[in-house]
Amino acid sequence: MKSMRPSTLESLGLGDVLEIVTKGCLPVSTSDMVDRVFGKEENRGALVISGAGGIVGAGKTMQLASRLVDYQIPIIALDLAGAPDCTASQFKGLQESFGTERAHTIMNSIIRLSYDGTMLPPVLKQWNPRLLIEAIPEKLELKRAHYKLFKEEFPDVHIVSVTSGFPSKELGVDIAHPSFPHHINKVFEMVEEKPSDFTKLLWSLGLIPMQVSDHWSFVLDVFFCGLLQSSIQFCNLTNTPYWKADKYIRHILGPNPFRAHDAIGAKGANFLTWSCLHHLGQVYGELFTPSNELTEHKDSGQNWYPLSHFRPVVNWKLDSQQLEDLKAIVYGSLIQMTTIMINEKRTDLSTMTAIGEVCAQFTNGIPALIRRLGTKQACQLVERYHQLVPPASRTPWYPDTLEDLSTPEWMQLYVNAEHDGKVGVITISRESYNYDVDSELNRAIDWLHTEGIQNVVLTSDFHFSTQMVGADTTEFFPAVTDSSIGERISEEWSRTARRLYTEFEISIGFIHGKRCMGGMLELMMHCHYLIAPEYVRVGMPEVTLPVIPGMEGCHWILRKSSAENTNAMLEMLLNGRQISAKQAVGYLVDYSGTFTECLSVIGDILRNDAKALPKRKIIEEALTHIEAAVRQVPLSDNQQIREAQTEIADCVIASCSATADEALLLQSKASARFIAGKLFRKGKIGIEYDKTYQN
Amino acid sequence: MKPKQKHIEARIPYGTWGTSYFPSWQSSPLAEVNIGQFAGESMARILSLRGVSTAHLDYLIIGSTVPWHWKFWNATVVANCMGRRIPGFHIEQACATGLQAIAQAAMQIESGSSEAVGVLTFDRTSDSPASVFPERRSYRRTEVISDVWDNFGFDPSVGGSMIASAGAIARKHKIERCEIDELTAYRYEQYFDGIESGFLSRVAVPLQVLTLQGKVLGDVAEDIGVRKVSLETLRSMSEIETCVTSGTQTHASDGMATLLVTSADKAREISSQPEIQISLVAKTEVRVLPTCMPEAPAIAVQKLLDRLGLRMSDMVVVKDHNPFAVNDAVFSKMLGYPWKNMNNNGSPLVWGHPQGPTLTRVVIEALEEAVIRGGGYVLVFGCAAGDVGIAAIFYVQ
Repeated sequence: MKSMRPSTLESLGLGDVLEIVTKGCLPVSTSDMVDRVFGKEENRGALVISGAGGIVGAGKTMQLASRLVDYQIPIIALDLAGAPDCTASQFKGLQESFGTERAHTIMNSIIRLSYDGTMLPPVLKQWNPRLLIEAIPEKLELKRAHYKLFKEEFPDVHIVSVTSGFPSKELGVDIAHPSFPHHINKVFEMVEEKPSDFTKLLWSLGLIPMQVSDHWSFVLDVFFCGLLQSSIQFCNLTNTPYWKADKYIRHILGPNPFRAHDAIGAKGANFLTWSCLHHLGQVYGELFTPSNELTEHKDSGQNWYPLSHFRPVVNWKLDSQQLEDLKAIVYGSLIQMTTIMINEKRTDLSTMTAIGEVCAQFTNGIPALIRRLGTKQACQLVERYHQLVPPASRTPWYPDTLEDLSTPEWMQLYVNAEHDGKVGVITISRESYNYDVDSELNRAIDWLHTEGIQNVVLTSDFHFSTQMVGADTTEFFPAVTDSSIGERISEEWSRTARRLYTEFEISIGFIHGKRCMGGMLELMMHCHYLIAPEYVRVGMPEVTLPVIPGMEGCHWILRKSSAENTNAMLEMLLNGRQISAKQAVGYLVDYSGTFTECLSVIGDILRNDAKALPKRKIIEEALTHIEAAVRQVPLSDNQQIREAQTEIADCVIASCSATADEALLLQSKASARFIAGKLFRKGKIGIEYDKTYQN
Repeated sequence: MKPKQKHIEARIPYGTWGTSYFPSWQSSPLAEVNIGQFAGESMARILSLRGVSTAHLDYLIIGSTVPWHWKFWNATVVANCMGRRIPGFHIEQACATGLQAIAQAAMQIESGSSEAVGVLTFDRTSDSPASVFPERRSYRRTEVISDVWDNFGFDPSVGGSMIASAGAIARKHKIERCEIDELTAYRYEQYFDGIESGFLSRVAVPLQVLTLQGKVLGDVAEDIGVRKVSLETLRSMSEIETCVTSGTQTHASDGMATLLVTSADKAREISSQPEIQISLVAKTEVRVLPTCMPEAPAIAVQKLLDRLGLRMSDMVVVKDHNPFAVNDAVFSKMLGYPWKNMNNNGSPLVWGHPQGPTLTRVVIEALEEAVIRGGGYVLVFGCAAGDVGIAAIFYVQ
């Protein structure tokens, strides 16, 4: 087996994606992992979550209980008597996600116990605790005493801490560092000597464990806390109010660092950020030493944003120099921190990128940002940062780690390719399609060609990406004021997608996550075959946003569908409703069954091509039956949606009435024109654009 | 002449000051905001544009004369709006406030209590706050107070109004109406010359005001309401009092002004031109006989000059708060100083009268002019309610 770079699955001890495709099964199953972590059903032990009443503990209790409810594992929520209880407030979320009946079943599966902190409840013994997830307050001595208490009573219990503040070497236990918001965020930064059964269990439950090492802080915390630190430094230098700095940082990086702290709860978040930076500062020096303002907010627990009666009255605009300084401070500090983590080999670059994007809300992970900047500009930003904030220069950094950005690890942050000499697999680890994914996908296709691979499966990475949500809409923002950018994006991405159809003998799009929507669905539909398990949801939500599908969604699949299936596809395009993959069989999806059945069919196609499943070719010529079909689709009563439907309908008619070659450019132009128009600005993405770009 | 003065440590760092424009009352978004909040946020903005971090400040002296919401918290809440939790103090004495706040800041430095003091004065005269005040001994038993207009119109110590004092002093000094009209026309010319030469944009900062939802409510980018007035128009106006017409007196307005007073070391650190040293040499105040307010500044200036052993001829810039044109005519007569030689680039008679920040803007404009002229003594003075005259001399080196 060869790959462009190691699969991140390997870091979990779970092999690679090619193995899943060729073997036709996942490397581990939930029931196996439950058996290994909690024992066989007849002798099944318990999961204990201590500090279960807190925000983290309650979130993780619900997240795990909802996934383990069918495995007869006693889930024990343990906390001090009288401690605040956040578990009850999770019920509403469970109801929304699973319905009332299932929510009750999940809640009923949780056994709540209280204790005094010094002695475990005797009743605990009867449940035979096998795994302790510790979520008690961030006090080192308290945690150590807690572990001792458990170890004395249950010597074989596996203890995992969800700490935010201490490294594993201080705690002496494994760590599963979760990300906010705790009840829904699937990411855990795992610190352990080698991937444990618990880690594999998390993966099998659809959660996202990521292997990292910690040096007083996790990768996410370096980004999250480091960003707040540099944002404060910028505000200090320029007097820019925090709320306004947030707006600009959102523009250049993605998150609102100050708002995020207030949203999480300023008192707790300020303390955790301060604590993280304080410890990092002690180890690494002044780059991380908490600023006076952070210390003040930590001590007071005050919000960063003004109170409602003092909502800002004076507007604030950064001039071009200040904007450059902001970039130097924010990017420069994060690049410096990243070089430290790369130097320490805290994790691989793909994981570091994913943590930034999935957990810290970065539009582009810092390694991806560095790659876009290039070595020279990245280093110049750090140097300029040191000029503006001289104390930071006293912390060492490692520009040599950025010297060669052409290695596969740097070049394939999101897209990997593997092959066994016959079959290639391209995996995408990013949930939304953007410039980076597009470039990496092209490189992956090129690589498979040079390796002589003609049969390929395009799928997500079975790790970071649990769904394919569509195009990254932030990529459209520059196109609002320059439609040539919109045209270029649409044309380039469409041409990439077409490579899947034209450059392989067999290409199979395999959707296996929760859903596949919009731009990602357009990409996948370019494969010769589209396979998806029955539970996968598919849809083209563009009309609701609104945008005009830009990767040939307006005509490509219509060229593959028979006339009798045209209406169903048009319904999907013009109404934006999601349907199950099973419902889409025949016009959008080529096969849908159980997960294992899908893998089996993929194997069959790879061996027998069209003999296994009919291979639908696109009609290159103009289609004649589309216009009448489009006119039959009823339009919405909502004026805004009706206008969008009309624009998409016009694009469908125009692109289907042309040849496939002409259609590509027609659709690109229509899509770009729409983004630069008024209707786009009234929709969800347009409003987001205004929030981000209109300062 | 060598002045009789003490060694002064406090400095006003050049290039760190600024003022909002002063829109006339009810004419701008400032009529609709909490002026204390606006002032605090504007100060941060102005210092940002001047390249000065508010982190340098360790004390804030604010000055305002019209009540505003949350005024009880005074300097502390304004400092918060400016972005710093520093201590501070509120100071207020009608139109003397803007100069007195600077003197107070200098004392804070001289006493060694602070290293960098922000001076921030502001007022909103628009929509005078009204309140109900139980006062059992008043015949109405409960008074309805309208802060701005009640006090403009009536001096509770002696009865009568400020406008009446202007008329009385014009008569006392035998000031002619024609001189007042000419003086006023000249003041307008000076102001518009200051705009045309770019002088005003060196000191005044355009600011944009937001609604509660964060949308733009409007811009404060000029002294809204100030229009060119010809001598003929001024002559055609009817007198309200002797020598006082609607054209020869100032108008109510809203705004803020800020400057810093620091130690010499700090001034060198934060000034855009550290080679320029500016200090407050001395200040004085007088209180004259009832209804003689317009001559009080002249008496204060004479007292200050005598104390320092200086003459008017030693001054490179002379500028005053002149709510009535009569003030300047009387000053000219009493000090023997031509009124054409003072108030270059504008004065409150033209650009308005928001009370608290008025004299701070006068100081800022005067110091900026002195720097352009290459330095020297700067005389700033003005009158204030209660028949008060205040005067100060600065030195720009």
